[in-house]
Amino acid sequence: MSEKMKLILSDTNLNIKPQNDTTFIDLSSLKITNCVGCFGCWTKTPGKCVIRDDAVKVYPLIAKSDRVMYISRTKYGGYDTVMKTMLERAIPIQKAFIRLVNGETHHVQRDVLPKSATIIAYGEISDEEKEIFKDLILRNAYNMNFTDYNIIFTSEEMLEETVRGEVLKWEK
Amino acid sequence: MGKVMILNGSPRAPKSNSKIYSDIFRKYCKLDTEYFNISKTNHIELCKKIGEFSDVLVVFPLYADSLPVTLLNFLKNLELNPPEKKPVISLLVNCGFIEYQQNDIAVKMMEQFCKKNEYKMGSVLKIGSGEAILTTFFNVLVKMKIRRLAYSVANKKYKTFTLTMPLSKRSFIKASTKYWDNYGKNNGVTHEEMDTMNIES
Ligand SMILES: Cc1cc2nc3c(=O)[nH]c(=O)nc-3n(C[C@H](O)[C@H](O)[C@H](O)COP(=O)(O)O)c2cc1C
Repeated sequence: MSEKMKLILSDTNLNIKPQNDTTFIDLSSLKITNCVGCFGCWTKTPGKCVIRDDAVKVYPLIAKSDRVMYISRTKYGGYDTVMKTMLERAIPIQKAFIRLVNGETHHVQRDVLPKSATIIAYGEISDEEKEIFKDLILRNAYNMNFTDYNIIFTSEEMLEETVRGEVLKWEK
Repeated sequence: MGKVMILNGSPRAPKSNSKIYSDIFRKYCKLDTEYFNISKTNHIELCKKIGEFSDVLVVFPLYADSLPVTLLNFLKNLELNPPEKKPVISLLVNCGFIEYQQNDIAVKMMEQFCKKNEYKMGSVLKIGSGEAILTTFFNVLVKMKIRRLAYSVANKKYKTFTLTMPLSKRSFIKASTKYWDNYGKNNGVTHEEMDTMNIES
């Protein structure tokens, strides 16, 4: 595997200047259609999505990163459309095959670095939605190879400042 | 008499497991049913129709631990285009893994939608091992459960049901490996090829 990197995936453009080993991707500026559930990436062209849009540039970066920051609006306690679309399109980095993780069945990862994740959920989020979102990230952690994670809820107004603060922590 | 609108929220709706689950429901439901795939272009049409039904059954797969975007996007549009008369919303959700509990977050998200938009939640059926179960002899269990689900909706005795393959996790993993090996074989791809560690290379 090539060298480690850090990755920020955001559903909105942000004015932040991360260091050289960090890639910032504004998903809303990319052309990414939704997964159609064909399982081609597991059973036809393993490790590659058959839809050749911008998502195929993003999931290899997720695999190579040992630190990720996902920045997203939420809806009904889950990720809103832009981030969720990308996460669904990232299944080529897993295999079809299933293993046990903490006593639960989950897919085997391909060449995916274990990662420390910071999840920043922004917008108006009710307490109930926050609880659902926390449960979701706990589940994601098993499926997305997170070794540890931190969830931060913030408002849209405070978003840039919050992200800057978290990026600074990475640089220490 | 009520009428049930079945909405398939799978992104591969015409060829989905959700379609098969829906067909079984239709067979057992004594109320009239009408079936629709949620597509990218028919949201408004569905929003207009939904008020004609006493009940809606949303049938969908778990995607990345939550609602597939196909369904999420429809719900967002339904929020903007609500019917005058709101039906009761029941769910039939299936996931690939053996633990039907992995569907819980998707169910909670649907509860949030209902709460926010003032729909009453009806019955729920959570299926684990839902990708493969229809191809096994546990298929009979699926029919039995969906029959009970259909009964509960038709009689307004709303309940939550669960189902998965009655296998140990080890046996499930073995069976699923065989399932995926066969899937690959049908595409001319070997186990070793599917097992590659490479991503986009
Ligand atoms: C992009 C994608 C993400 C998925 N995520 C999950 C998941 O998080 N948990 C799970 O148990 N199954 C997951 N599955 C498996 C599906 O839920 C399962 O294959 C289901 O039977 C598909 O139903 P359908 O044919 O009605 O679409 C996923 C499948 C795809 C294509």
